[in-house]
Amino acid sequence: MAITFANRIYGMKSSEIRELLKLTENPEIISFAGGAPAPELFPVQEMIQVTEKVLRESGEQALQYGTTEGFNPLREKIAERMNRKFKTNFAYDNILITSGSQQGLDFTGKIFLNEGDVVLCESPTYLAAINAFQAYMPRFIEVPTDSSGMIIGELEKLLETTDNIKFIYIVPDFQNPSGNSWSIERRQQFMNVVKDYDVAVIEDNPYSEIRFEGEMPPSMKSMDEKGQVICLGTFSKTFCPGLRIGWVAAETNLLEKYILVKQSADLHTSSLSQRSIAQYMDSYDFDANIDKIKAVYKKRRDIMLKTIEEEFPKGISFTRPAGGLFLWVVLPEHIDAKEVAAKSIVYNVAFVPGESFFPNYKKKNTLRLNYSNMPEDRIVEGIKRLAIVLKDFYFHSSSSNE
Amino acid sequence: MEGKNKYQLVVLNIEKHDIIKLDGTTTTYYTKRGSDIMRIILNKNSSVPMYLQIRNQMRDMILEGILEPGFRLPSERKLAETLGVNRSTVLNAYRDLKADDLIGSHIGKGTVVIMPPIPINRDRMPQKVSKLPWTQLLGECALRMQQPLVSDILKTANRKDVISFAAGFLAQTHDPVEELLEAQSRLLKDYGSTMLQYSATQGYLPLRESITDLMQKRGIKAGPEEIIVLSGSQQAIDLTARIFIDPGDVVIVEEPSFFSALQVFQSVGAKIMSVPIDSNGMRIDFLESLLSRVKPKLIYTIPTFQNPSGTVMNIKRRRQLLDIAYKYQIPILEDDPYGELRYDGDHLPTLKALDQHGYVIYASTFSKIMFPGMRIGWVVAEREVIRQFVLAKQMADLHTNTLGQWIMDDFLRSNVFAKRLKTVIGENIESRNLMIKALKQYAVEGFEWQVPEGGLYIWCHLPQQVDTERLIVKAEEKKVVFVPGKIFYSGYVESNTIRLSFSSPPKRLINTGIRLLMEAVKEIIEEEKVNHYLGNDEIKPIL
Repeated sequence: MAITFANRIYGMKSSEIRELLKLTENPEIISFAGGAPAPELFPVQEMIQVTEKVLRESGEQALQYGTTEGFNPLREKIAERMNRKFKTNFAYDNILITSGSQQGLDFTGKIFLNEGDVVLCESPTYLAAINAFQAYMPRFIEVPTDSSGMIIGELEKLLETTDNIKFIYIVPDFQNPSGNSWSIERRQQFMNVVKDYDVAVIEDNPYSEIRFEGEMPPSMKSMDEKGQVICLGTFSKTFCPGLRIGWVAAETNLLEKYILVKQSADLHTSSLSQRSIAQYMDSYDFDANIDKIKAVYKKRRDIMLKTIEEEFPKGISFTRPAGGLFLWVVLPEHIDAKEVAAKSIVYNVAFVPGESFFPNYKKKNTLRLNYSNMPEDRIVEGIKRLAIVLKDFYFHSSSSNE
Repeated sequence: MEGKNKYQLVVLNIEKHDIIKLDGTTTTYYTKRGSDIMRIILNKNSSVPMYLQIRNQMRDMILEGILEPGFRLPSERKLAETLGVNRSTVLNAYRDLKADDLIGSHIGKGTVVIMPPIPINRDRMPQKVSKLPWTQLLGECALRMQQPLVSDILKTANRKDVISFAAGFLAQTHDPVEELLEAQSRLLKDYGSTMLQYSATQGYLPLRESITDLMQKRGIKAGPEEIIVLSGSQQAIDLTARIFIDPGDVVIVEEPSFFSALQVFQSVGAKIMSVPIDSNGMRIDFLESLLSRVKPKLIYTIPTFQNPSGTVMNIKRRRQLLDIAYKYQIPILEDDPYGELRYDGDHLPTLKALDQHGYVIYASTFSKIMFPGMRIGWVVAEREVIRQFVLAKQMADLHTNTLGQWIMDDFLRSNVFAKRLKTVIGENIESRNLMIKALKQYAVEGFEWQVPEGGLYIWCHLPQQVDTERLIVKAEEKKVVFVPGKIFYSGYVESNTIRLSFSSPPKRLINTGIRLLMEAVKEIIEEEKVNHYLGNDEIKPIL
């Protein structure tokens, strides 16, 4: 049969990350490619206790269909936690439990975007968000971004001159892929500008609690006078991703729309997963678990930065994230990171070339390195090998230029 | 009546009168204060929720200046009574209007209209930030999604104080919790960190292999690469719609059909065309005449123990349907959640088993047999189609929860699933028979049903004079809930049908529930007689 798919399908490409991840299933490979947390940090013993308790005490409900909005005690805990950490003002009915925050991204595209509508985003921005929104065929405009966040003057110009902007998508804390966080001043300026426009702000925040040093700056939502900020959250980085639990937090009149979309997408998120996390939060110290994660990732970040400094050739710049899972490398302009990636695989090292993180203007000389998923010795070894590949490119490219 | 701060309420319940020839279920509401008139028209058949209808009309009246600043609105309770809606409906409407700063409440003055918002002038109003008008930002898809039907049903069904014939799931009495506990601790001990980690978008490979074996039992040959694991079979419908349907494309469905599927197709902007069913399933002659006029993108069918009608498409029609699909080159989405739940008669081959040319996308789920809360379903299709599902799934939610997949796999490999299926069939036969017995015992004249050979539902026709909307209200007073038939139709239809699920209430309550339901039916019939004698066709003002 000649199968005709919907038009939007033809925009979907198997992402490079996917292809890369297939390769990284090979245990020989030192992978800086994925964004997965360190599995050895998962509280497995505690989860055995917790799931058993859930099944013994409320097995029937935990295995039965639940409500679309999610398990109320979990919604309450999330609201309470956000209010405490991010100075928001949410109640349980502001929270919709989603199957991971990817679903929050997808729903956001579904709810807001008609073909040709405009999405403003940072440059670079999160790859899976680009893919999720792309399915609804919007026009992306990248707002020039430096290490402190979007350049506010440029943002203002765009807001003033562009029609049909539906929302601004940002990851203000330890952004994926750059590892950069917005400064307090930039956050204030941002909220001050956007409140004059009828646009939504999607504050995607998977990483802010994975902070190694310094104070947590105020969330965008905490400065939101107009009720225009929608928060996306997840337990994937602070707990375990396999349970697929994330959430959308928004004004109730808007959240209703998300709930409708959720209902037709998959009815509700796994009741057992939801109750297990809620029970875990009751029985154990959630923050103590995050402290454990932070301690390990900090060491891994430190060793990666140190090895990069020692091994990489001169003229390569990189970010020094104060938290999160990623750092971002900018190579000299004539080097294509995709070619470097192809070569690195020969040395059993994988990473994601940076161009996928730009919806429009691909900067080919960039790449993203993840440090959460590999033990320290493998990080050192991997960065050393990567340095060899890079030096090779340096030598060959510059000799061919001469 | 016409005092200074008073308003007169006039209710025209057009529903019962032929005088104004509007839509048969329109209510009009007036309030007067001097020369101001507030008028709200509610269309109960609209897909727009009631509270939004109220809010939108009031907002327009305020913005157009029909309701002036200072106009005192009726109390929520009063307005709800007059319009014949729940108080919470009016509450929600008022809440939205307050959020938009169009109305406000003042002690002693009640709820009054505030100034219409002036276009924002930053120099003059530096302090006050008005709330973001969300509705202006919503896309077409969000605007097409209006009815919180399923979640309403799930909510009602989860209520402890009612006898629910509404939900399509099993009574909560015999899930194999012990087996689950055992499997979960055993697996977590050995593979904990893998079970809690991200996993493959297409699904956990061993589970796909187990599903391959399960499919073999249903006559379907499919390797693991032709299978994708999804977050319940609802996601199968959602992703199929995303993959195949552009706005304006035609999707063919049975009439009646699963409301959640109709909703999904509507939300992507499909043009839904219905083919009626009879006791042998989809009317293929209708379908064929339809295909001479339109070129659909997809045919959606539940051939076995159809939801809501319980009918089974016979073997002849199954073959005919496939031949037609081949002839006109239309893919078929075969939704098969209930196929294994057969209580009498012989199993028929699925469409997928009969399909020689890869036209059928087959969707199924574990939810009707065990652990619906785990949200695990799957799709079997050609590799090329599965590839698209994988891409769409990756964007939708990355992958289905890992822990649940490991457990399901374990249960398919041990005999837990097979044992459970036997138990469920046994329980369901008992429940079905209890309900049939109760129906025979209490049914009034004109209340008709068919005995289903499988599945979860009994589809009932009400006596002509019984309006389903009224029956819902009346039955709820008696703490009995069910699903009204009209939501299984894509367009507006006059349908005095209801769907009763025999598997959702505990068995001991089935008889009582049916008795109470029939009492409600009888009461409505009696009331209709009285109304008839009173000559209920004059407009009466009430306060």
